[in-house]
Amino acid sequence: MGTRGNGGLRGEISIMTDTQWPRYMVLHQEQDDKPHQHAGTVHAPDAEMALLNARDVFVRRPDCVSLWVVRADLIFTRTQEELALHPEWLDSIQPRGDTAETYYVFAKLTQKGQFSYVGEVEAENPARALKMALQKYGDIAGLAWWVFPVKAVLKSTPDDIEAMFAPAAAKDFRDQANFHALSVLRKLMRKQETSDEP
Amino acid sequence: MNPELKQALVDYLLAMADDELILGHRNSEWCGHAPILEEDIAFANIALDEIGHAIVWYELAADVLGEERETYANRMVYFRDAPDYRNTQMVELPKGDWAFTMLRQYLFDQFEMVRLEKLAQSSYAPLSEAAAKIRTEEMYHLRHTQAWVRRLGLGTEESHRRMQTALNEIWPHAIALFQPSDSEILLINAEYVPATSALKTEWMERIMSYLQEARLTLPQTSVVPSRTHHTEHLAALLSDLQQIARLDPMAKW
Repeated sequence: MGTRGNGGLRGEISIMTDTQWPRYMVLHQEQDDKPHQHAGTVHAPDAEMALLNARDVFVRRPDCVSLWVVRADLIFTRTQEELALHPEWLDSIQPRGDTAETYYVFAKLTQKGQFSYVGEVEAENPARALKMALQKYGDIAGLAWWVFPVKAVLKSTPDDIEAMFAPAAAKDFRDQANFHALSVLRKLMRKQETSDEP
Repeated sequence: MNPELKQALVDYLLAMADDELILGHRNSEWCGHAPILEEDIAFANIALDEIGHAIVWYELAADVLGEERETYANRMVYFRDAPDYRNTQMVELPKGDWAFTMLRQYLFDQFEMVRLEKLAQSSYAPLSEAAAKIRTEEMYHLRHTQAWVRRLGLGTEESHRRMQTALNEIWPHAIALFQPSDSEILLINAEYVPATSALKTEWMERIMSYLQEARLTLPQTSVVPSRTHHTEHLAALLSDLQQIARLDPMAKW
């Protein structure tokens, strides 16, 4: 997978041919003993910018010890319904491609829950990775599944914690409703206008 | 602390605070106008961080003077006129385009980083403690602005041209960051602060290779403005920033 394929991981800049930036899935880990979970998506020209954007959009307030980004179009996904509707699809998958690589497996377990890390499989292509994931983690009743190559993921490092995540923990959160500058200003302006009248 | 040293320290802290406040306010003008939503959030965060750092420095100055922290900070921010501000012209210039904003922030972040590393070793404990704390946030700012400078410098013909134009305009103002104040020597002797002019070598080393990598060329340095002279842009910025407080000094918001 080259620069175009993974959107340019750390240190690489991909040349944009579209005016739209690709979408990256953001996976965050709140504590060391909890799995990575889907936090949302960001747009970015490349993976490094996606990681920075992910930090600002998703982890400024809540706890975070690790952040991953992966280009959304590199995630191979199937829902429980899709798999039930076409059971023959899984059987039609043959090993294809050259060498196996490691894929992360994520699953969504409840309607309201987020996709969470389940494990890893070695496979030659995404479809086969999913098939192996269903075999390996068959006891998990996933409503939907994601598989994507480990090497497509840009991850924060333990060194990033100090600058990326730690400062946010010390900050107070003030709700938008606590900011009154504009309404106070309007009131003062009205008062001034009234007093200016003869 | 003798009165001269005290005054020198307050002057130094105020200059730092004013830089952060004015830059933070300028950056906040992008709120709702940044190129994309994600960046809007990211850059508003950076703006808030800078204003937060300004508060830290104003409050340290208040402590040195034995004044009440919030009262002092409010007085400094809302009730000083432009000529009394000690920020560099670099931070008061209008926000310009995205290239200008990113390059200014990058050059300033790198300056701050070099200075904070030294201030973290200050013999004046409140200063070293604050510097160490602020430094972690600046590490992130730097990563963010560096990323943009590189991408804009190496991006399209237009983005490169805008970056070079921005660099030409900002450069003399960036050099002004390294002008020492008159009383700074007292603080250097007390090992409170590093010599500002000595920070320049380290800063130049860090930014030169990076700007070259982004294919940007340094212009010749022309006249370097001082901290006691301001452009007309500062008064305009302050009239916005101070609007409520000047209409009603007792207003709460």
